[in-house]
Amino acid sequence: MISFESLEVRYGPTIALKGLSLTLEDGVVGLLGPNGSGKSTLLKTLLGLLHPSAGGGHVLGIPLGTHEAAKLRGRIGYMPEYDALIEDTSAYEQVAFWGELSGLTPEQARDRAHEVLYFVALDEARYRPVSGYSTGMRQRVKLAQALVHSPELVFLDEPTNGLDPDGRKRMLDLVLKVHVDLGTSVIMASHLLEDVERVSDQLVILDKGEVKAAGSMAGLRRMLAKRFELRFLDPLNESQEGKLAELGTVLEHRNGIYDVELAAADPVLPFRFAKGIGAVLVQLTPRHDRLDEVLIRALRGKIGETISATTGSH
Amino acid sequence: MPIYAPSLPPRPELSQGSHPIAVLTKFDLRRVIKRKVGFFIFGFIFLTILLIELIVLYGKYLINTSPGLGGLKEFANKIMTQGANYQAGLLDWWMLVPLWFMMAFMVGGIISRDSLYRIRPLIYAHPVRPQDYISAKALSAFIIPMTVMLPFVLLPWGLSMAMAGKAGPIWMSAPLYLLPAAIIIGLLMAAVTLGASAMAGSPRASFGWVLGIVLGTSAIGSIFGLTLHSKQWMAMSPYFLVQAWPQLIFNVSDPLLKWIPTIAGTVVHIAFWTWIAVKRTKPSEAVL
Repeated sequence: MISFESLEVRYGPTIALKGLSLTLEDGVVGLLGPNGSGKSTLLKTLLGLLHPSAGGGHVLGIPLGTHEAAKLRGRIGYMPEYDALIEDTSAYEQVAFWGELSGLTPEQARDRAHEVLYFVALDEARYRPVSGYSTGMRQRVKLAQALVHSPELVFLDEPTNGLDPDGRKRMLDLVLKVHVDLGTSVIMASHLLEDVERVSDQLVILDKGEVKAAGSMAGLRRMLAKRFELRFLDPLNESQEGKLAELGTVLEHRNGIYDVELAAADPVLPFRFAKGIGAVLVQLTPRHDRLDEVLIRALRGKIGETISATTGSH
Repeated sequence: MPIYAPSLPPRPELSQGSHPIAVLTKFDLRRVIKRKVGFFIFGFIFLTILLIELIVLYGKYLINTSPGLGGLKEFANKIMTQGANYQAGLLDWWMLVPLWFMMAFMVGGIISRDSLYRIRPLIYAHPVRPQDYISAKALSAFIIPMTVMLPFVLLPWGLSMAMAGKAGPIWMSAPLYLLPAAIIIGLLMAAVTLGASAMAGSPRASFGWVLGIVLGTSAIGSIFGLTLHSKQWMAMSPYFLVQAWPQLIFNVSDPLLKWIPTIAGTVVHIAFWTWIAVKRTKPSEAVL
């Protein structure tokens, strides 16, 4: 779906994206990163609005930075983070307008606006000006405009922004429907890690213009399944501690508890190891990390290569 | 609880639609006209100018045909002759000043409304190139003053021809002079309004920008003109430029400005404000 190699984008002297190399498959991709991490720059580049200063790549088979970018945008839908709605017009009028702008005839765009507004459950409110809509309805109008031309790929920027828990759940259900029922691939940028965890099957973590981690959620979960907290009856001596590296990666050591990522997801390994070094293992607790902890670790630079190695992506 | 449709029917072909310039222009024009206040201003200015035109024409007709008003004939011929001054006057300040207000009020928001609602990045996320966007905006900004000027070029001419033929107050060939003048005026007004709108963050601010540019440059031009004892400095102002064009094209005896300052001023204004609009609406300026 998307691949780029050594992609670099500059704003004057500032390097916004530093030599990104990534391959993303069809599906739902979660794009995570703090403000200023390069998410928006990456989306702009993928939409063909910014030209790479070095490197290159392909989106849906079309090379980045070429004159074909305008054509590419006809195959992509984009739902912005903020309220990009024309307040004095109805949802129907504006969705039809975006459809026409994507290449539909006026008649087709009008028909399609009805269909897509029904798809996002706004059919009853479609003739009302959007200025009177709730936050959830406004988000669904933005999603509808992104889908009106049935794109092959859709970028959703913070789709659950400002929604209450019920609204969030509905929006995430819709995101899943977009992929499952319409067969459209989704790239969802979000700060809400639970949302990404719920809908994504691939994950990219960006920070300071660099990919800190990328891979499949299944791979991430497999990796998380290898994390355990170990506590021994007596504190380990230096020699025993040194041998912990044979068991796996020690991520943290605090108050006699070792946070270890095992080389394989086999809980018997720590017992064998303890026996081998002459220690008594008294606690073995699986660590069910939440994604936010993974993000923090990735941003500290401790996880990227691990996920990549686990999932086979780069 | 909303009811979601299970799926979407297959999509129609995307290549059958209109060019993005046509889609954007149609949407902008509809948006301008649909706004109640915009429609009121448009109608009010249109009708005001029409009324003035009809009064002038009918007055001239009565004076020429009614025996009771024969005494006024000589006087009327002095102020409403068939000469070039009268023809050029069909696009005079009494039409152009309301037109500037209309441009500021109705067309001022042509770009700034997109900035206010933050839809420009979304427009660029569609198959729209920067040149399509700016061309569509320029076309809309040009069409609106032309929809006022064209009827007032053609309608009085038609009436004059119908009432009095060659003997009427308006030359048979007047449209051949008035149409190019109207086109240049429309281009100049569109460029200034486009630049002002690109600099403003809202339609209300655009109104201020357009009037500020027109009045500001007029004041500066007049001050230079008075100080340096040459009224050609007034070519700095689009307000004076739009008045000068019909006079120059009709070759009146004492035009407000000469050819070279008028051409230079017009080219500089059109180029500068278009450049501002292009720079301020680049896709890379779009904040996603």
